[in-house]
Amino acid sequence: MNIPRMLIPLLVLAALLGGYFLRTQFTQPTTSVAFQRGGGARLECVVDGVKCKGTAAFFTQLYDGVPGITSIETFATEHKAIFTYEPSVITPDQIRRIMEAPIPLRDGSRQQVFQCVSMQ
Amino acid sequence: MHMKTRYLRYGLMALVLLSVVYLALGFGRRSFEAFCPFGGMESLWGLHKFGEFSCTLGPLNLSMMIGVLLLALVAKKAFCGWACPIGFLGELGARLSRLLWKKQPKPSAKVNSLLKGLRYVVLALALYFTYKTGELILRGYDPFFLLFSGFGHGSIGLVSWIVLGLIVVGAFVIPMFFCRYLCPMGATFDPFSRLGLIKLVRNESTCTQCGSCQLACPHGLAPHQMVKIRHRDCTNCLECADACPEKNVLSLKATL
Repeated sequence: MNIPRMLIPLLVLAALLGGYFLRTQFTQPTTSVAFQRGGGARLECVVDGVKCKGTAAFFTQLYDGVPGITSIETFATEHKAIFTYEPSVITPDQIRRIMEAPIPLRDGSRQQVFQCVSMQ
Repeated sequence: MHMKTRYLRYGLMALVLLSVVYLALGFGRRSFEAFCPFGGMESLWGLHKFGEFSCTLGPLNLSMMIGVLLLALVAKKAFCGWACPIGFLGELGARLSRLLWKKQPKPSAKVNSLLKGLRYVVLALALYFTYKTGELILRGYDPFFLLFSGFGHGSIGLVSWIVLGLIVVGAFVIPMFFCRYLCPMGATFDPFSRLGLIKLVRNESTCTQCGSCQLACPHGLAPHQMVKIRHRDCTNCLECADACPEKNVLSLKATL
């Protein structure tokens, strides 16, 4: 039995859309650190400068030891970081200032590496 | 009626290409790289061993790979012929190159076959280095990344320019140069050319052996010399079926 030619583009579209919607089954951060147990408020930031696993890990390290931050998940592909924090200890604005602060580079200079594009 | 297949195919490929450009220009929420199914292949080992994705790769790469592999089980390398933006650019380059050459150079069958082995080498290198380092080391040589990122984070300056230049020049000399000889994604799908369920089948009794199908095939295959078209380069693009002057010679069938 002959198969109509239109089936091929329909299958291609189904594969592309199916692949897109299937992503939620695998959602996983590129780097993820829980600094201490406990929950808190949630803050999601789109961060310019988080480009790959290396920059995501570097970004996560910025918050190592920062009081009030309980966990960070950084997603390189979505240039996104999700914080949980204790609002009584740290505010979203302070979290933003930490990421946007100039960072010392190997040559001794300081440069802003990350910029918060949006917060919610 | 027949010409509609190509228009439809080019329309779909143009849509995918424009979507990638849209993302590459920063309008989307995700990087254009997040949609590359080959990234899913590259992230498999990291996920298995370390439970995390390599470099910029993410869940979408993995799910796109699953979608495209399922497609390959049903319709062979239809992703290459109907969606891949690099394949689309390669095909446009091939069409342009026909205008440039009086007689297009054609590598001998032996050289052609040897060069096709290169894509398996590229596949092995890409997987080896990604699995070994967790970084996309071959990014600086990847035309998809170089073109759409505008030589972004991971490109390696002059070397990247030379590699991309060679691929572009190659596309104007040998049709589908990158797809034929260098694409690791194409190499991944090669086994599905046989396994994929939907194939073109030639009706030997009505075929006049005119060779129009071979002239139309972007990969230079000769469907008029096969019964079931399960050559590893066939992408089910249906150009051969479009070009055939006879009715019902090349038809799609579900067959192994």
